[in-house]
Amino acid sequence: MKPYKRPQYWNSPTMGWWERAYVFEIARGLWVTGSIFTRNMWRWITGRKGALTTYYPEETRADYAPLNRGKHILVQRENGKPQCIACNLCATVCPAKVIEIEAAFDPTDPLHPKYPARFEIDYSRCVFCGLCVEACPEDAIRMLKEVPDLPTFDRDTLWLGKEELLTWNPRKDGAKR
Amino acid sequence: MPRIYIDGLPYEADSRQTVMEVAAANGIVLPGFCWHPKLSVAGNCRLCAVQVEGRSWVEISCNMPVAQDLKVLTDSDIVREYRKSILALTTLNHPVDCGICDKAGECLLQDYHYEHNGAPSTSHEVKVHATKFHALSSRITLDNERCVLCSRCVRFTHEISKTKSLGIVQRGDTSLVRASGDGAFETDAYSDNVVDLCPVGALLSRSFLYKSRVWYLKATPSVCPGCARGCAVNLWHRKPEWKLQALDARHNRAIERITPRDNPAVNGPWICNRGRDLAPLFERERATQAICAGFSVATPAAIEGARSLIERARRPVALVSSWASNEELAAFAAALGRHFTVFVKRDREPEPGEVVADDILICADKNPNSTGALANFASAWGPGSTLPEGTDLLLVWGEGFDLAQVPQSLRTIVLDAWKNPGHARADVFIPVSIQTERRGTYTNFEGTVSGFEACFEKDDSVAHAEDLFAALAAANVAAA
Ligand code: SF4
Ligand code: SF4
Ligand code: SF4
Ligand code: SF4
Ligand code: FES
Repeated sequence: MKPYKRPQYWNSPTMGWWERAYVFEIARGLWVTGSIFTRNMWRWITGRKGALTTYYPEETRADYAPLNRGKHILVQRENGKPQCIACNLCATVCPAKVIEIEAAFDPTDPLHPKYPARFEIDYSRCVFCGLCVEACPEDAIRMLKEVPDLPTFDRDTLWLGKEELLTWNPRKDGAKR
Repeated sequence: MPRIYIDGLPYEADSRQTVMEVAAANGIVLPGFCWHPKLSVAGNCRLCAVQVEGRSWVEISCNMPVAQDLKVLTDSDIVREYRKSILALTTLNHPVDCGICDKAGECLLQDYHYEHNGAPSTSHEVKVHATKFHALSSRITLDNERCVLCSRCVRFTHEISKTKSLGIVQRGDTSLVRASGDGAFETDAYSDNVVDLCPVGALLSRSFLYKSRVWYLKATPSVCPGCARGCAVNLWHRKPEWKLQALDARHNRAIERITPRDNPAVNGPWICNRGRDLAPLFERERATQAICAGFSVATPAAIEGARSLIERARRPVALVSSWASNEELAAFAAALGRHFTVFVKRDREPEPGEVVADDILICADKNPNSTGALANFASAWGPGSTLPEGTDLLLVWGEGFDLAQVPQSLRTIVLDAWKNPGHARADVFIPVSIQTERRGTYTNFEGTVSGFEACFEKDDSVAHAEDLFAALAAANVAAA
């Protein structure tokens, strides 16, 4: 049996005398960071906004990828009622368990007797995985590319209810009645 | 004793059994909508078909008598093909609205479709529509589109509850389950069993309608305290991991539905409608505040007060609860039984409009553990009973006794779980836990002992009666 040889997963450093001298390389590194810092600082002082920083929450980025999973909305039927049938599949699949739905019975609407009386999402725990959107059999919940604009000092305000989800950037689905 | 072979393995059978029964007795699950172990054979769903070895066709196992050396195959190619086509037929007009169906998650059609078919419908015809919410009674609504016409519900009312209140009218794809007369189903005191019996989501309980998806709930085995039969039940309540945070937190501690738990020694797979309505009884406003001499005090202080009253009493009398578990009664007997003259009191009497007794399950005594209590303490407290001469302390445990009956000068200790303005009259009142907060056993009127488990935590200010008696006794012995 061959003796065990520990495999080596890393590169051995290959340094010349210049790098080994240390102080010159440190000076070069300081020069790189220092020059970028001063350049950005100069642009900022002269009002040109140096680095690619978005000054959130005053500014928001305009260039989200079209498939970015941002804020949830509830899709409306043509009559403005939620398309959601309160089946709870989104709430069941949600890995963070942040969706809570209170179902109710509407005897006046025989096509959609079950509807959500309340629909709550806790953005403080949502991981933006999008599984809720995948699970929905009615295409009733979607995630738009814009992120939820919710900086707050109070966790309770991070629960968004049915009204907000229906009326923030409302979408209708003509294919569903 | 004939021996039969199912998929090549030998099984001993009784000559009066069917193949389905032999399979079920040996843990082999054959699919089927219409067969039920407690009902007659209808043989209408055709899903339980099996192939007898050597034959080129299938026959239904639920109506196939066993014969010596009968060899059946439950998973041959033609059986599988046949099941698939039967399921395609069953779902021909089925709405498949599982998203809003309360049965989803425990629906036989869903399970069988996944297991035996799995293919989308091949039909191009428009589905036949029918009434979605037909009120069979004030308790049960029928979705005619989801019904697979297995006739289990009809057979139940003919063979078990004997009201003959359901039937099937019309033929073919216009067949409908209907009550046999106006309000006929309303009078069936066992009607809700058809909700569990229905293999699909056609029969739905109005009180559970859209309340919760079933996979959010868990069943805790329990015993119905509604009458002396002590039927085995499951109490369904929200799983702790699905605790609600934004919505009504009461659901986290609520009994969402009650279903029978099969216990052949007591109730079989049935319970009466009243057993399903226990949640409001349990969820009446609870007493959580101990009272001592008219003042609200902490529970330990009230226990201390009760202890000193017991210590000073020369002729104390106790009325023990027939809603108490055997364990609590034994704890009382061990701790205080010698000191007290004990009577067993009935906590509840039949309510107006309630079925008092019948020859199926319902018993006239509306307390679960009168038998267990009378086994511990021989004398019963009846309407004409009076307190013995010279009584100087009365301990009332449970409901059903009005303190106004006794003179104000008599010292009283009351242990009760629910709020009642009468408690203010007691010298000491200590709130105690209810059945859903502790485990224990009841002895039913036939002497069968059944156990129940706790589903919720008790409140801190509430005492378990069992521990309470131990505390009272420890003090008592120390003082003596
Ligand atoms: S995005 Fe993911 S974590 Fe957020 S609500 Fe949907 S399923 Fe839950
Ligand atoms: S999965 Fe879709 S239809 Fe179902 S509850 Fe969620 S949003 Fe509503
Ligand atoms: S009866 Fe079963 S298959 Fe039909 S809608 Fe209900 S859950 Fe789905
Ligand atoms: S209502 Fe349910 S139990 Fe009754 S026949 Fe239809 S499917 Fe069977
Ligand atoms: S179970 Fe045998 S035919 Fe329905």
